[in-house]
Amino acid sequence: MEWFEIFDISLFRSLIRSATPIALIGFGAAMCSAAGVLNIGLEGKMLNAAFIGIAASYYSGSALTGFICGVLAGVLTAVLFGVLSYNLGADEVLAGLAINIFAIAGTRYLLETLFKRRGFFSDPSIQGIDPIEIGFLKDTRLEQFLSGYTPSIYLVFFLAVVLYFVYYRTRLGTAIRATGENPEAAEDAGINTLRMKWLTVIFSGVLAGIGGTFLSLENMTLFTEGMSAGKGYIGLVASSFGNNTPLGTFGASIFFGLGDAIGIRLQGVYELDSRLILMIPYALTVIILVLIGVRQIYRVRKVPIESKE
Amino acid sequence: MEKFSFKDVLILFAGLFITAGIAYAILTITGFIPLDIAKLFYEGAFVGQRNILNTLNIATPYILTSVATVISFRVGMFNIGINGSMYVGALYAAWAGYRFTTLGEYTHVVVCMLVAMAVGSLWMLLPALLRVYAGVSEIISTIILNFVAVLFVSYMCNGPFREAPIAPTTPRILETAELTQYFPNSQFNTGFFIAVFVAFLTYFVLNKTTFGYELRSGGDGLVGFYPSRYSTYLGIPSNRSAITGMLISGAIGGLAGGLEVLGNTRNFYQEMNFNQGFDGILIAIIGKLEPLGGLISSLFFAAFKNGGLFVDYKTEVSREIVVILIAILIFFVSSQKLVNSLERFKIIQKLDNFFSRKVK
Repeated sequence: MEWFEIFDISLFRSLIRSATPIALIGFGAAMCSAAGVLNIGLEGKMLNAAFIGIAASYYSGSALTGFICGVLAGVLTAVLFGVLSYNLGADEVLAGLAINIFAIAGTRYLLETLFKRRGFFSDPSIQGIDPIEIGFLKDTRLEQFLSGYTPSIYLVFFLAVVLYFVYYRTRLGTAIRATGENPEAAEDAGINTLRMKWLTVIFSGVLAGIGGTFLSLENMTLFTEGMSAGKGYIGLVASSFGNNTPLGTFGASIFFGLGDAIGIRLQGVYELDSRLILMIPYALTVIILVLIGVRQIYRVRKVPIESKE
Repeated sequence: MEKFSFKDVLILFAGLFITAGIAYAILTITGFIPLDIAKLFYEGAFVGQRNILNTLNIATPYILTSVATVISFRVGMFNIGINGSMYVGALYAAWAGYRFTTLGEYTHVVVCMLVAMAVGSLWMLLPALLRVYAGVSEIISTIILNFVAVLFVSYMCNGPFREAPIAPTTPRILETAELTQYFPNSQFNTGFFIAVFVAFLTYFVLNKTTFGYELRSGGDGLVGFYPSRYSTYLGIPSNRSAITGMLISGAIGGLAGGLEVLGNTRNFYQEMNFNQGFDGILIAIIGKLEPLGGLISSLFFAAFKNGGLFVDYKTEVSREIVVILIAILIFFVSSQKLVNSLERFKIIQKLDNFFSRKVK
């Protein structure tokens, strides 16, 4: 097999699958960052949702219940983050870190206590969420590109468009951006900045919940310890690379997905160490951070330094 | 940040009581008898020479990682990547331990530790430069570098540093590179004293020297405000102190990893799993971002951890419960408004004035 032969339909499909959780987290992170919230806790929200999703699906035998419970877990973790940061005055970063550590230890504890397992949990009675075939695409050429994905993947495309309009074309989007760019001016203009922050935090909780259940119920039907594997942070980088805009974040996530998918496929072509393959998304993230840095340096030079006083 | 005040201590104890209550509830729900577990917990942490030594040995990396956190947070940089520094520090300490064959007994250990510190510090160079010169959040870059570090060391001890076919480990370090283990029944070693020394040294440098003042002024005395106007007014280049602080923090993180290899395991193996970097952040926060506060709270944390291990070993209770409880404790300790709301009570105000000297 030659290296260029990896660019086929299955690469495209695996790209979309890898990009989905990053994009979901990225959208949430983009909204939060636009409102001036540094939401480090997304990783923990995702992990909690992944675990609760699979536990609920296991006990109820219904994929929908699993999904709903998973999303609720994401939202509840987001509420915890909000209460700590805004009602109890904790630093956002510290609250986020504590939540991440809490989620890692908590899911591991529940895994051992509820299921008596270490490392991972999988069971035939867990109901995963099934892929959806799009009817009118049947037997057309587009079918293999666009049909047969799980619901969250369609949601990502949908959100990219909807959020674009919300972000640029609605009063709400303007209010969110104003909150991040200049909180005092936003307050003077009658925007309740605290409410905007809460809104974005809850919204990111919902998306992190969907992202978490995507990992444990859609992509695979199993839970492994630390299954989010830094996707919460990579989502933050994606949003920051995409300038905190919906479409930019979407593009950045596709880029991450592409790197991931190519890495996995290259494994079949060359005799590469699996650890180096696993490193690709993170190495890519570091490279992107450097690129963000370079871009920032040029941008900073255009603005007089003291103007941000 | 203010020094330890009475209300902080009060909230710490209140938090401890509440977390103990939560632990009681969790244990009861999962069908254990809390008091028996508590007894085992205490026994595992404090009773008998072996358990005490193990507690101190477990504390060693925590002391160093919490001190590393203290330094980086005090210069205003959120260094979450101490875990990454630990990994690379440990790997290269092991490498130096078997590679340099001609060094004498003391020089070899020292060289190994210096190598660990240098590598750990280099690991932090990129995030520091990115933050200072390009404004890229050091939080995200250091976290991502943690993941890179884990995979990098695992690749290295499978590949270039692997001891021929036996197992994915590095060769055992030479005897000249070992830190002395004093007791036959515990891995307790000289590393502990080195860690305590580093904590005291950091306390001295940070609080009593001009260099330390320059470092602290970069952070404006507050967490998370690196480009500090305060230090600019003082004429101290906050860029320089931020980078220096990050590098020192990385070096201490690397040392924490190095001591694990030189004192405990004597080689680096693939399954080596560090969490001390993350826990060190929590410990440093409980210690109010003071080096000695970090020292004391890491001793407590290690006792918790060791007690948890003992309970895990003796019963079905998972050891993770300790980390859960510590995270809940952090929720309380970091809640600044909760702490400040205590000021409403006259008696607490009075006690506060009595016990604390305010630093302006």
